[in-house]
Amino acid sequence: MTDLRRSPLHEQHLSLGAKMADFGGWEMPIEYAGGGVMKEHAAVRDSVGIFDVSHLGKATVRGAGAGEFVNTAFSNDLDRIGPGQAQYTLCCDEGTGGVVDDLIAYVIGADDVFLVPNAANTAEVVRRLAAAAPSGVEVSDQHEAYGVLAVQGSASDAVLQSVGLPTGHEYMSFVEAQWRGAPVIVCRTGYTGERGYELLPPWDRTAELWQALLEEGEPQGLRPCGLGARDTLRTEMGYPLHGQDLSLEITPVQARCGWAVGWNKPRFWGREALIAEKEAGPKRLLWGLEALDRGIPRSHMTVTSDGRAVGEVTSGTFSPTLRKGIALALLDRDVAQGVEVDVDVRGRTSRFRVVKPPFVRPSTKAS
Amino acid sequence: MNPEDLRYTREHEWVREDGGTVRVGVTDFAQEALGDIVFVTLPDVGAEVTAGQPCGEVESTKSVSDIYAPVSGTVVARNQTLDASPELVNSDPYGEGWMMEIRPDDPASVQGLLDAGSYEAGLESP
Repeated sequence: MTDLRRSPLHEQHLSLGAKMADFGGWEMPIEYAGGGVMKEHAAVRDSVGIFDVSHLGKATVRGAGAGEFVNTAFSNDLDRIGPGQAQYTLCCDEGTGGVVDDLIAYVIGADDVFLVPNAANTAEVVRRLAAAAPSGVEVSDQHEAYGVLAVQGSASDAVLQSVGLPTGHEYMSFVEAQWRGAPVIVCRTGYTGERGYELLPPWDRTAELWQALLEEGEPQGLRPCGLGARDTLRTEMGYPLHGQDLSLEITPVQARCGWAVGWNKPRFWGREALIAEKEAGPKRLLWGLEALDRGIPRSHMTVTSDGRAVGEVTSGTFSPTLRKGIALALLDRDVAQGVEVDVDVRGRTSRFRVVKPPFVRPSTKAS
Repeated sequence: MNPEDLRYTREHEWVREDGGTVRVGVTDFAQEALGDIVFVTLPDVGAEVTAGQPCGEVESTKSVSDIYAPVSGTVVARNQTLDASPELVNSDPYGEGWMMEIRPDDPASVQGLLDAGSYEAGLESP
């Protein structure tokens, strides 16, 4: 294994007995001692959990016309939001329309956009932006300037209030707060399907904030949750994971991320390729699969219908909420919602129904 | 940490002798490595199993692992409780999380398995 980068909470994870693993070049917790994926998943669905996602990238795009420039690069229409709001968007390849990364863009102001890309793709996103930036717009990789903590679940407001952080702002909006003299961005975002917040404290204050939240959040049942539960939570929501359900080989049209594309914009990377694909109709589409037996699907397993290969599982797991196997799968366009298909699970055939995610009803916008 | 009165395999099964049959499960190390176990697939009663060959599966939220028969013989019991409560393998691997009972073809074959000390030594230097 090459040298892995470490979160500012590395020591905290070890002292909580976390199992650590490589996530996009970062050594991060999968699950904690006394927890485990099932308990940690249930904490978020039932009350509240806290995740360290400091491995996520951070980058700034600043200077006259920064927002305008980002809007000519990324897929979603940044004009749909204003200062204090965030947006899910895609960085596509100009030639193919394949997805370099999916990310969140925070509009601080017209000349100041903050980006949170995936850990493994941050350098590439920054490289592509910097190469295209007009003079006066500066793109800067800030990977280790901020930590990221996700507090997710219905009790997340109470947990934030217990340490004096602001709550109650709208879904996909953010507030810049002061906490013990440090600036902390508090965003109403997440990757679990539950009401929750993502906090961006300065890198070297992240451990202090994590500790305070864990202590003050105890009465709410706040539990540290690893990236194992984060994956089962997001899969239940049908949220794509870059590198599995989205990639340079998988376009937003195929992955049903067309809602995050500003089709009427005159320019964004990959526009021509994506419009052509949309008009022709994609060859394959991302669907959900729900197990009809005890099979648990995993990435890259083959999906068949009457013995004919019709696609491939891109993400698969056991759903702790439904207590059965679920998957996201890229299927040929002639496969319809509701039909039954087979998945080759290590040489055994398991039966699945084709469904439209989410598998579990989200409450991200619940008040 | 591993009971001294049991025998072990390199594949992380434990074996307890009980008269003419042996009870089989997976070790604490195995359940810890697998994480939360959600399905256990076991051979049927009456099935013939071969030492060192896969005869079942333990599946967790994140991965799946074969269960290897520690000895050759006939399956005489399977822990049906695990169908509904597979988490017993995590909470009590040497007790309620047992998996199956086998009548060995050769009762002496159990003596060829590892003792607790040798099993643990193998964990430290893989």
